[in-house]
Amino acid sequence: MEGKGKINLPGNKKEVFEEMLNPELLEKCIMGCKEFHVIENNKYKAELSVGIAAVKGKYDADINVKNIAEGESYTLVIHGEGNPGLVDAVADITFEENGNDDTLVKYEYQADAGGKIASIGQRMLGGVAKLVINDFFKKAKNELKLKQEAV
Amino acid sequence: MGSKIGESKKRVEDARLMAGEGTYIDDLQPFGNIHHAAILRSPYSHAKIKNIHIDEALKIKGVIGIVSGKEVAELSRPFPVGVSEPVEYYSLAIDKVRFVGEGVAVVVAKNRYIAEDALDKIKVEYETLDTVVDVEKAMEHDAPILHENLKTNVVNHRFFDYGETDQAFEEADIVISKKFKFPKYSATPVENYGIIADFKASEEQYTVWSNFHGPFTLHSVMTAALKVSGHQLRLQIPKDIGGSYGIKSGSYPYIVLMSIVSRVVGVPVKWIEDRQENLLASSSGTDRVTWIDAAVKNDGTVTGLRMKMADNVGGYIRAPEPANLYRTHSNSTGAYNIKNLQMETIAVMTNKSPTGLIRGYGGPQLYFPLERMMEIIARKLNMDPADLIKKNLIPADSFPYRTASGGIYDSGNYQGALNKALELIDYEEFRKRQKEALKKGKYLGVGLACIVEPSGSNMGYVTIALTPEERAQGLPKSGSAEGATVSIDPKGSINVRISTVPTGQGHETVASQIVSDVLGADDNSIKVYAEMDTATSPWSVASGSYSSRFGPIGSSAVYEAAKKVRNKLLKIAEHQLNVPIKNLSIDDGKVFDKNEPDKSISMKRLIGTAHWNTEALPAGMEAGIHETAFYNIESAKAPNADDTVNGSATHGFVVDAVTVEVDETTGEVNILDYITVHDAGKLLNPKIADGQILGGLAHGFGGAMFEELVYDEKGQLLSGSFMDYLCPTSTEMPKITINHQETPSPLTPLGAKGLGEGNTMSAPAVISNAVNDALRPLDVVINKLPLAPNMIWKQISEKKQKMKEEV
Repeated sequence: MEGKGKINLPGNKKEVFEEMLNPELLEKCIMGCKEFHVIENNKYKAELSVGIAAVKGKYDADINVKNIAEGESYTLVIHGEGNPGLVDAVADITFEENGNDDTLVKYEYQADAGGKIASIGQRMLGGVAKLVINDFFKKAKNELKLKQEAV
Repeated sequence: MGSKIGESKKRVEDARLMAGEGTYIDDLQPFGNIHHAAILRSPYSHAKIKNIHIDEALKIKGVIGIVSGKEVAELSRPFPVGVSEPVEYYSLAIDKVRFVGEGVAVVVAKNRYIAEDALDKIKVEYETLDTVVDVEKAMEHDAPILHENLKTNVVNHRFFDYGETDQAFEEADIVISKKFKFPKYSATPVENYGIIADFKASEEQYTVWSNFHGPFTLHSVMTAALKVSGHQLRLQIPKDIGGSYGIKSGSYPYIVLMSIVSRVVGVPVKWIEDRQENLLASSSGTDRVTWIDAAVKNDGTVTGLRMKMADNVGGYIRAPEPANLYRTHSNSTGAYNIKNLQMETIAVMTNKSPTGLIRGYGGPQLYFPLERMMEIIARKLNMDPADLIKKNLIPADSFPYRTASGGIYDSGNYQGALNKALELIDYEEFRKRQKEALKKGKYLGVGLACIVEPSGSNMGYVTIALTPEERAQGLPKSGSAEGATVSIDPKGSINVRISTVPTGQGHETVASQIVSDVLGADDNSIKVYAEMDTATSPWSVASGSYSSRFGPIGSSAVYEAAKKVRNKLLKIAEHQLNVPIKNLSIDDGKVFDKNEPDKSISMKRLIGTAHWNTEALPAGMEAGIHETAFYNIESAKAPNADDTVNGSATHGFVVDAVTVEVDETTGEVNILDYITVHDAGKLLNPKIADGQILGGLAHGFGGAMFEELVYDEKGQLLSGSFMDYLCPTSTEMPKITINHQETPSPLTPLGAKGLGEGNTMSAPAVISNAVNDALRPLDVVINKLPLAPNMIWKQISEKKQKMKEEV
């Protein structure tokens, strides 16, 4: 399964880049995130609870941030495992100055499912991925807005 | 009233089934204190198991034990398998998983809910490995290896050369070569696997209730795995099984697994498979790649065939595999008089689920390429396929016919059946209609398939997987024996015990019909017991429900046992009436002198004599009436040193004629008419025969149009529920006309042959031929399955695009 998209987020490139790796923001914005731990620099562990049909269940996710080009781009490598099966995803994220104090965030991902998620849920995985991603960015946008306003 | 062989007697099974009084495995409580098992399955297709953490799961209230590969390795050996390569297959993954869904651990708890919840708490550390699911890729030298000790994924590889094939190809006017892919699909019985296992430590006795239906050769495979003698594993099968179509023979690893689990946790254990488990990890047919070359004369005579076939047996080769490659070995040339044949057979392991028996076993994979080839050859020679088939069919006066690979076709009139089918489909008229329709932009097609349906497998055919030298080192295997017992109690009630383990085919009805006919007995006086018990049933290694063996073999055993009883009763009558046995006959509850019908004695009296007044029996006769017969067929001989073998007891014939319309704009196939003409020898019960044929046809239709266990390249199953694994229901079924021709088998006492699998073998081929015929004006050729609209539409579109570019 593959996908890509882009979104404008408030803030300059440096701010947005930093916020996108801010554990507090991640914990707040990832759908169904129950716990979020920083294991070491750029290595996180999350406990997620997803409530969508065949994908429903608890997942333990390992999140690694790789190929960091400060303020420009990075790669997320995610491995999630739970009762319904497993998901392996790799996402490339890039940041572009957009004027107006906005930053254009572009993402491109490839994900593979395993176990029950693949055998009974694959037809809806694409939709679920879009839902989770859109939800994340919507919340992130709000968070960033609130921060800007607070300043 | 009594019934006769050949009548459409109503099924005796249906009253209880329709009343909800069937006895299925899940209804049973054969032991006290039964606990329930759930199985943790691998989400990876290929991985090492580094660690299994069960502590958290064990803490759950109601969980009484967890079993993993460690205990299984201690308490069992790998299952024996009929190839020389040492493949280690256990009932649970030991240190590695080789397909998605492979069992890794078993939780036993007070109920299934708790057991399933506990699965979530088990943590398994895996180290993933590269995966291979494609049979051709798995044969390559640099492919990931599943079983490191073998250093290859090819687990069986044989060459065969019959007749003068090289010469036939040298002398051919044309040689046509094609490659075909046959998909992996399953059978989907309403009832899934069910096992209730108990281990009694004091007796070292495993007793297992299950819906396993044989072949009971697998009893030996199970006892070998459990390291016990035959009677230490007592298998009991309930009266009713909710369908199988071969798939439930693949439940035997779970019989061993639950036996071990019961032993480890110390209580009887019940496990009922759910649908997801069934699609993911039970059993299925193999996917096969076939390369086929045909040597053909300009007049359409096919003089030789070269076939290379590679079967995908999944993560482990599991008995009776690689038998899918060989079940049809002796009928590899189908219905055609082709004396020159070379074959290369290959079984390959990949990271898919293991395979096994399934209705048609080997037949769909054989006849799809063979019957497609006949259509392709006809197209190439600009002949009508019907004419090409007629040119090559085995002549009606050449039975018994010996095939190139050693098969003995016992009887038949293939031309007669074909003509009947052509008449019923109105072949000539349809050709005219087809031309007219094309003018209006409609794509109509007609397809034919002629197949020989083997039934009553010879135990020896499986050993053709070994070389003659390897075979010579072991005991030869042959035969196809089945047992049955007919007894009469002091009140005159007749009990019939069979070991054919029906899974819905109506064996009780037909057995009762046979006994009624032979003994002139009232239907109400006869009860048939199809419950199987390896401790008390009259069974042989060949027993069970597979290879349509009730028609030729099982029914014959019942007939022979009934005849023994009849002879005993006649001998008592001879003694009492003082009339020679040859003058005696049975009818209407009496034995009478054919010459003096008034001279008679009631059956009641004769039966009573055997029980109550043994003094009046002829000298030396045993008391009571309790006769067992084991029927075997002589033609089921061991393979010869030249690798010829007669793989089956009897050979029926099926010809299908199908008309379709293909929608050029959507790729949708609409079946207009489906004619099937069968010759299964004498029909024992025509109504049941038609029911079996319809079921087999629905399965074949599913394989042709919808069904496939689809895997992605990482070995993940993508069609793991009925949302994605599509089966035909009654609304998808086309109009079907069944017609019979009865050419009795000279080999079986009743002249009957098997018939439940034929259309599973023919339907994918015939529908595909019809679709190709329809698409002929578009120059589109389709040699794969299933015939899904998106696949057909894509091929039509690509062809159109190509034609545009050329213009």
